Amino acid sequence: MSDIHLKNLVKSYGENIAVAGIDLHIRQGEFFSLLGPSGCGKSTTLRMIAGFIRPTVGQILIGSDDVTRLPPEKRDIGIVFQNYAIFPHMNVADNIAFGLKLRKKSHEDIDRAVAFALRQVGLVGYENRYQRQLSGGEQQRVALARVLVTEPRILLLDEPLSALDKALREEMKYWIKDLQKSLGITTVYVTHDQDEALTMSDRVGVMQKARVEQVGTPQEIYERPKTLFVTTFIGQSNVIDVTVRGRQGERLSVDFGDSTVLTRAPVAEVSVGSAAKLVIRPENVIIGAAGAGLSATVVSETYQGALVRYRLSVAGQEIVAERQNQAHLARFSPGEVVGVSWDPDRSEALVA
Amino acid sequence: MRDESPIPLIFKAISVITLAMLAIPVVIVVLAGLNAGDYLTFPPQGLSLRWVISFLTSPTFLSAYGISFLVAAISTVISTVIGAMAALFLTRAGGRVVAVLRAFFMMPIVLPGVVLGLALYVFYVSSGIGLARSLAGLVIGHVIVTCPFVIATVTAALVGFDRSLEEAARSLGASPFAAFRLVTLKIISPAISAGTIFAFIISFGQFEVTLFLSTPNLQTLPMAMYVALRYSFEPTAAAAGIFAIVLVVISMVATSRLVNLKRIFGG
Repeated sequence: MSDIHLKNLVKSYGENIAVAGIDLHIRQGEFFSLLGPSGCGKSTTLRMIAGFIRPTVGQILIGSDDVTRLPPEKRDIGIVFQNYAIFPHMNVADNIAFGLKLRKKSHEDIDRAVAFALRQVGLVGYENRYQRQLSGGEQQRVALARVLVTEPRILLLDEPLSALDKALREEMKYWIKDLQKSLGITTVYVTHDQDEALTMSDRVGVMQKARVEQVGTPQEIYERPKTLFVTTFIGQSNVIDVTVRGRQGERLSVDFGDSTVLTRAPVAEVSVGSAAKLVIRPENVIIGAAGAGLSATVVSETYQGALVRYRLSVAGQEIVAERQNQAHLARFSPGEVVGVSWDPDRSEALVA
Repeated sequence: MRDESPIPLIFKAISVITLAMLAIPVVIVVLAGLNAGDYLTFPPQGLSLRWVISFLTSPTFLSAYGISFLVAAISTVISTVIGAMAALFLTRAGGRVVAVLRAFFMMPIVLPGVVLGLALYVFYVSSGIGLARSLAGLVIGHVIVTCPFVIATVTAALVGFDRSLEEAARSLGASPFAAFRLVTLKIISPAISAGTIFAFIISFGQFEVTLFLSTPNLQTLPMAMYVALRYSFEPTAAAAGIFAIVLVVISMVATSRLVNLKRIFGG
């Protein structure tokens, strides 16, 4: 087994707390992303798993082995760095063979493994090139091949796409995901890019201020954010001030201006009359003819090609709505009075 | 079409004059060493290998050349090891102590050689630990003088060194020592070689510190040349100079082969 357990992991530098107690279980074969803004502790966490940083408190288990006190070379991990860290004094073949030579494999075994790895990452014929003769994408493939030939138990990826241009990033995103899936290797991926995290991951851990705020599948993270940070960091959300009126099973009714609307209830207890935030994604706001739902005034319309974006004023608060730009859907102009509604299951109430 | 030169004519002129001032003494020494006359004169009175042969058959000069070579070789090896390790420590350790240590290690460059030589001489004689008038004492002096050059060149290479290369090696199964040997050392080795050659050149031509530490039977080439010119005005010293220049030129060519000098001088 090569799942990863992080138990109450803490890293502090004097007064500075980089990671403030993380408990995580990363499952066997899973693609797990640590997503968060810079300085949130995601890279520190990854480097603790790799063994480059020793935790102040806590435990790291790979499979059933406690690796907390092991140096990186004894952990049987593979890591790809943001800058790929290709050894500049070795050609591609020697870079890939590096780990195997340390493991004292025979020449034949090494040659076979290197040839296989080059095929795997699509770099056959690149054996004799040096780092300076490789593009960013090629360096990344070499870095991955170099790691994969050693057959590590877990794969760690530290923002591996951030140094690439946009088109290549798109391509590599799917390529890495497919490779990971075909190998079935437990993978921890660190990124600040929500798009990468949502596209590639089986599960995402959203981090902020040295803590993990929420762990879940991309869908759960996007559709059922548990905190305001998660909902605003991932995608866009309307955050509306409301007052709690009462719970009705799975639903919560809240006062929004003069109207009462329904939303999904939070797990936590909420007291009647307390302030809460109603969170709704722009694409879930439905605009209709005046009279259907809440009364709203169109403030502006922005044409974005596939989408049309409206800023609406509802009971003194601003709501952004997005709708597909399709021929059968009416367009609205600024100043027009419209009706606004949404599916209660597509909105969340968060206690501020 | 040629690009317009970005360097003004006046700067070019200054460069040419500077170069001439650097090169002319070398030319004079070489010509003086090939002089056919009896005295060290310029322009030479005809060309001959007379004084070159005199150098090659002179016990004083040949042994001085040998001692200079030996002292330079030993102190270069010691300087390279100490200097490279010091550079590694200075670039990787943090804290206030490091800044103080760096200044301390670099001090021999700014300290006048005469002061350093005098200090060592007084220390050797008064401490009575057997270093006065000894080869070991002379070598220590040369190590102190040459070490900063190794530290400077190796530091220059380490400052730009990407630590994730070492981390990559570690994650692939290398022990800290193996990662250093297989990756870091390999990548900074041109800089270490350059430092070594600088140290050798500095040591070979070292005069001020040597003045205080050498004895008549432990005479380096610069000392022998100085003494010879004081008591006789023979061109043998100039012929010896030719051999010193040849050694330095060979070293410089070797350096430029090993390392891009621009990187060290920040050009």
